[in-house]
Amino acid sequence: MPHHIDCDVVVIGGGPAGMASALSAWNHGARKIFILERNDYLGGILNQCIHPGFGLQIFGEELTGPEYAARYIDQLAKTSIEVMTETTVLDLTPNKKITAVNPKGVWEFYSESVILSMGCREKTRGMIFIPGFRPAGIYTAGLAQYLVNIEGYLPGKKVVILGSGDIGLIMARRLTLEGVKVEAVVEVRPSLSGLIRNYVQCLLDFELPLLLSHTVTNIFGKERVEGVEISRVDQSWQPIPGTERLLSCDTLLLSVGLLPENEISRKAGVSLCHFSHGPFVDENFSTDLDGIYACGNVASVFDLVDYVTLVSQKAGQSAAENRDKKPIKYQLNPGSGVGLVIPQRVRQVNDGWLFIRPDQSFRDGEVQFRTQGKVFDQKRVAVCRPSEMVRYDLKNIHWPEEGGEIIVEIVGSSVEGI
Amino acid sequence: MKKAYDVIIIGGGVVGCAIAWFLSHFDLKILLLERELDVCCGISKANTGIIHSRSYLTPGTVKGELHQRALSWFPKIEKELDFHPSVTGALTVAFNQDDLNYLKSLKNIGKYDDAEILSPQESLLLEPNLSDRIVATYYDPRAAVASPFRLTLAFAEGAALNGVEFHFDSSVEGFDHQGKKIIVHTPNENYEASYVVNAAGLSSAKIAKKSGDQIPVFSTFKGEYFLLDKESQGLVKKILYPVPNSLSKGILVSPTPEGNILAGPNFESSCADDTSTTSQGLNEVRAGAQKLVPRFPFNQTIQIFAGIRPTLPERDFLIFVSKKHPGLIHLCGIESPGLTASPGIAEYVGELLIQQGLSLKEKDQIIFRKAFPVFHDCDWKKREELIAQDPDWGQIVCRCEEVTLAEVKYALRMNPPARTMDGLKRRIRVTAGRCQGSFCQMHLPSIVMNLLNIGIQDLLKSDKNSNLLVGKTKKVVNTHATPH
Repeated sequence: MPHHIDCDVVVIGGGPAGMASALSAWNHGARKIFILERNDYLGGILNQCIHPGFGLQIFGEELTGPEYAARYIDQLAKTSIEVMTETTVLDLTPNKKITAVNPKGVWEFYSESVILSMGCREKTRGMIFIPGFRPAGIYTAGLAQYLVNIEGYLPGKKVVILGSGDIGLIMARRLTLEGVKVEAVVEVRPSLSGLIRNYVQCLLDFELPLLLSHTVTNIFGKERVEGVEISRVDQSWQPIPGTERLLSCDTLLLSVGLLPENEISRKAGVSLCHFSHGPFVDENFSTDLDGIYACGNVASVFDLVDYVTLVSQKAGQSAAENRDKKPIKYQLNPGSGVGLVIPQRVRQVNDGWLFIRPDQSFRDGEVQFRTQGKVFDQKRVAVCRPSEMVRYDLKNIHWPEEGGEIIVEIVGSSVEGI
Repeated sequence: MKKAYDVIIIGGGVVGCAIAWFLSHFDLKILLLERELDVCCGISKANTGIIHSRSYLTPGTVKGELHQRALSWFPKIEKELDFHPSVTGALTVAFNQDDLNYLKSLKNIGKYDDAEILSPQESLLLEPNLSDRIVATYYDPRAAVASPFRLTLAFAEGAALNGVEFHFDSSVEGFDHQGKKIIVHTPNENYEASYVVNAAGLSSAKIAKKSGDQIPVFSTFKGEYFLLDKESQGLVKKILYPVPNSLSKGILVSPTPEGNILAGPNFESSCADDTSTTSQGLNEVRAGAQKLVPRFPFNQTIQIFAGIRPTLPERDFLIFVSKKHPGLIHLCGIESPGLTASPGIAEYVGELLIQQGLSLKEKDQIIFRKAFPVFHDCDWKKREELIAQDPDWGQIVCRCEEVTLAEVKYALRMNPPARTMDGLKRRIRVTAGRCQGSFCQMHLPSIVMNLLNIGIQDLLKSDKNSNLLVGKTKKVVNTHATPH
């Protein structure tokens, strides 16, 4: 027979979101709490992020990933929250039965609340249709980061990085420090994808070239990567014929975006948002299924771990309290200039935040909130970029009396270049 | 002393492995030589994976006859190799009157009572995502899909269980004749055999030349594919074929046995070792797939790949006895439906060998292969039993395909064993899922190096020079920070 456990809260995933939500659930009165983590340690991807830059918002100081994780691991140790590592959740039903396996057997959890905090995965070569051969030496940047920082292996000697997302920038510096030659960071957008500080500290400081409006259009080498062809792209990101050029390298790192990992959510039948690729959530990070919450990068990929922690604390509190909910008053959708909004559902506006991800860089911009075609609130943003979410307290938005569908847009002048 | 065998088979694709398994039923000393580090590395590794459960090929062709023969082998394959194709059925789709005439001719050729021509309404009821511009479909309920890796490996493992030896990294460089014996030269070793079967796929012509035989020039054609995430499961439940053109079966959309969706292949001229995808080729496949399934979700793609097939001008298989040595048999131009026909080809090769003087005496006992459990496919009760037997079954290494450490260990120890990352993928599907190895390859390098007791320099993706890693990071020399 499977091991049978009845409990208050089960948290799926022991990364920053899982740890913060479990602690918050504990602090709000839940007692029988389990964190199920598939690796043999807590902290998730933070463990491989050995660079500083974490915690400025929450702790007011710069921590490395492992240091940031350690703060929560220490706090967890002071509670009776049960952490089960090497435990992989394989199923979740709409009525919150969780089935997991580990070397000790099959486990069934019957929980009042479930918190989804499985994080995200990296987009791969196939997803962005880069033609060419399939040799060794093509890595997603996060995988390479793990191999270098945790395992101590070097993936290659001469690297081209596609995508100027933060992991790509961080890896450009990390590999340079290891004596690896970084040929170029290639970005399909006309502007940087990652944080400016990472551009300065990881590329400029090491004089590494960034090629904007370029992409990889072919991969050479049958056994190991021997080079990549890059091309300029037009405004719709289509390669411009005649602009091809060869970069010789033995490794291609891909930092081309992250996707929330919602296979478990899908099994439970949680509704997913087409824009965030995560569950539709309200301001308390409750999904559309009663008692199932989603926080951190499984809900939407956040740019800062600090934000992940904030929203996860909210989810943990909601899961502990697991109250009857007010009806949904506002349904938020992204309009022009906006890639996604999170939460997509708002029940009450007195507490919580709204995160907005621009879909391109703007200068002298304005965030506009519309309902039924009319702008009911607008907020100035001097500069905004896809890599940095715009965040508002819900209570600082002048919500209309009537509920309904709300479109969030950004207008402003487009920015090209860094 | 040269090692001596009754039969040496050159090539570890599905055909070579099927021949090895077939011959392993008889009292023979058999060796299979493979140039690569594993079986299923050439044509067999990248194709559509369809078991054409019925033959519509023109009678009188070798292809047609061996396909027909092969069909009677599948019950035996299920029984002895514990290998089971998934019967999905297939719809061949007509978009105009000419197409419809073709469907009628299929119905005529096949004369299968349970196959029928369906109206658009009936077809859309079976496959709601099919284009509504169709005028009719031909429904064959018996068509099946199978993993080409798993079929090849089932043959190989079945053969190995019954005494066939496999030598990898052994490319054949030439032949010598010593009386009735053939000496086969490889860089590492020379072997002696009474009979040699050249099933080297794309290299079969090259090898035939080394024995002094002339074979017609064959062309190689490339086919490109899109593979979708399992999230797309159910998009189509049956294989959807367009009406074929004079060159190929056309770009089809098919479920895979594992629950993915496959679209492809196109048909483009190519050189034998060019397995690269091209934007032009992918666009062709895109258009072809969208013609059948207008809302084909390309945004759920997890991998794109290309396969190569050799085709002779007559578009038939060519299987013949060498003019230079009576014990040598060449196989050329084994293209579609080679996967399905492989056991029929094996049986036919056996007959040729008998004609050439080999005596086939059936063994008293044959060891049946029992497929190793696939954790992902087991029910909860079975999973519990497995973990209770061995805790490694409770350790998930690959989250996307739910592959356990127990399966990794098995793949590394089975015969023939996985020696590369692709070898693992083809056996147990690690790295084959939606993350394409972004997660499991965090842990697999160390797991594999430890279990095989090899160093970084020997950790390979597929071929000999496909090193995954190039070295170690710098050492921390001073662990105590010195004050500035």
